Amino acid sequence: MNVLILGGAGMLGPYAARELAPAHNLRITDINPPQEDLPGEFTLLDAADLDGVVAAAAGMDAIVNLSVLRRDRQTAWDVSTRGCYNMMQAAVTHGIRRVINTGPHYTVAGRHITEVHDFDIVPDIPPQPGTNLYALTKAMGLEICRVFTRHHDISVQHYLFYNFKDPAAIQPGERYAPYVISWENAAEVFTLGLDIDLDALPSRNEVFYVFADMPHGKFSNEKTKRILGFKPRRDVEILWK
Amino acid sequence: MRILITSGGHDRSAALAGHLAQQHEVRLTERTHVETEHEFALSGLGHDRSTNLLTRGIDAIIHAVEPLPGEDVSSQLDAATRCTYNLLMAAAEEGVQQVILLSTLELMAGYPPGYRVAETWRPLPSTEPPTLTKHMAEQVSREFAREGSLGVTVLRLGEASHETIAVAVDEALAEPASLAARHRSREEGAAEAWSITHIGERAS
Repeated sequence: MNVLILGGAGMLGPYAARELAPAHNLRITDINPPQEDLPGEFTLLDAADLDGVVAAAAGMDAIVNLSVLRRDRQTAWDVSTRGCYNMMQAAVTHGIRRVINTGPHYTVAGRHITEVHDFDIVPDIPPQPGTNLYALTKAMGLEICRVFTRHHDISVQHYLFYNFKDPAAIQPGERYAPYVISWENAAEVFTLGLDIDLDALPSRNEVFYVFADMPHGKFSNEKTKRILGFKPRRDVEILWK
Repeated sequence: MRILITSGGHDRSAALAGHLAQQHEVRLTERTHVETEHEFALSGLGHDRSTNLLTRGIDAIIHAVEPLPGEDVSSQLDAATRCTYNLLMAAAEEGVQQVILLSTLELMAGYPPGYRVAETWRPLPSTEPPTLTKHMAEQVSREFAREGSLGVTVLRLGEASHETIAVAVDEALAEPASLAARHRSREEGAAEAWSITHIGERAS
C-alpha cells in the first residue's frame, strides 16, 4: 500500500515509519527535516499548505496524520484543524478511502471534565475538549473529519494517545498518566489500521484509545483491542509494580 | 451597553450597527479597514494584546463570522476557528458578559422538507462554507460556554429580514445565555450557558 505520512519526522513518526516500512511504500512529510534516517521518500511540507498536501497525496492509498504543533496559537490551529481539512480535501481529490488521524486523549474527554472524576472512560462519548488549545484544535480537526465522512466514502480512524514511554528509560517511582504506552507498541496500531477491512469498522468515523492494559481503570482500550485486534505489550508495567 | 460587532464590512453587521446604535454604544471591527459612521477598530483577531484591548470594556459581542470578499476556504476556516478562539479567549479574560454568535439555519438544510426541525437537533454541515465555517465557530464557542467562561447565544439565521434579525438580537441582549441557562437549570437540570435559537425560515 502507498502511504502518505504527514508529520512523520516528529516524535511518533520514526517509530510508525519503521513499523510500516517492511509492508508499505512510504511518502513521509514534515514541516521539519528528520533527525534520523527514515524509510521511504521524505518531503518538507507544512500540513497547513492545502495545495502541498493535495499534491503529496497523489498516488497514495492511505494517509496517516501524525502532525502536531500544540503550543503556539497560530500553528496549533494551522496544523491540527486546517491540517485535517487539507488532509480530507486531499483524500477527496485522490479518492483515498483510508485515513488515520491522531491526537491526544482529551480530544474527546476534556482533562478537567472527566479524567479527574470518572472511570472506564471510553472514546465513544460526545467530544468535550474544553478550551485547552491542544485539545480543542485537535477536536476541531476530528469534527472536520467527521463532517467529511458524512459526505464522502472515506473512513477515518482517530488514534488518541496520552503518555508515551521508552521502557528502557523508565526510572523507579517515575510519574505517569493513567494512559501510557511504549513508542514501539503505539506504532503497531498503524499496521492494524492499514490492514483492517474498512467494512469491519462500525462507521466511517471511529475513535480509538491506544494504550497499554493498566490497572487504574480510568480509561478503556477495550474497543481498540476488540475492533482493531490491538495487542498491548506488557513493557511499561514497571511503572506501577 | 457597549457592543462589539465583528465582520464590520458585511451588510448584516452594518445593519445591526445602525439599529443597535439607537440605544447602545457600538464598535465595529473587521480584518480589513471599513468606512463606517460608527466607531471602528481594525483587528486581525490575533492572539496578541490587541484583541484584549478590542474587547476591554465591552458588555456584549455580536460575532458575525462572515468571510472577506474573495476569501479562500482555508482562510475562512481559519477565521471561523482560530479567530473565534482568540476573540472569545480575550472576551473571557476581559469579563465580557455575553456573546451572540450569528450562525446559519443552513446547518439544518439536510433534514427533509416538512420536518419541524428544532434547536436541539444535530446540525448537518456540508464540507463547504458557509455551513462548515459557521458550524466550526459554533463548536469553538460551545467549549467556552461549557466551561462557563462566557454565556453564548447562537442565532441560526434563515431567510429573515434585517428587521427580524435585529429583533432577535434585541431579545438575546435582553436575556443573556447565562441567564437563560439559569432558568433552564431550575426546570431541566441544565447548567450550561449555551443557547440556540432559530430565526426565520429554513431553506428547503
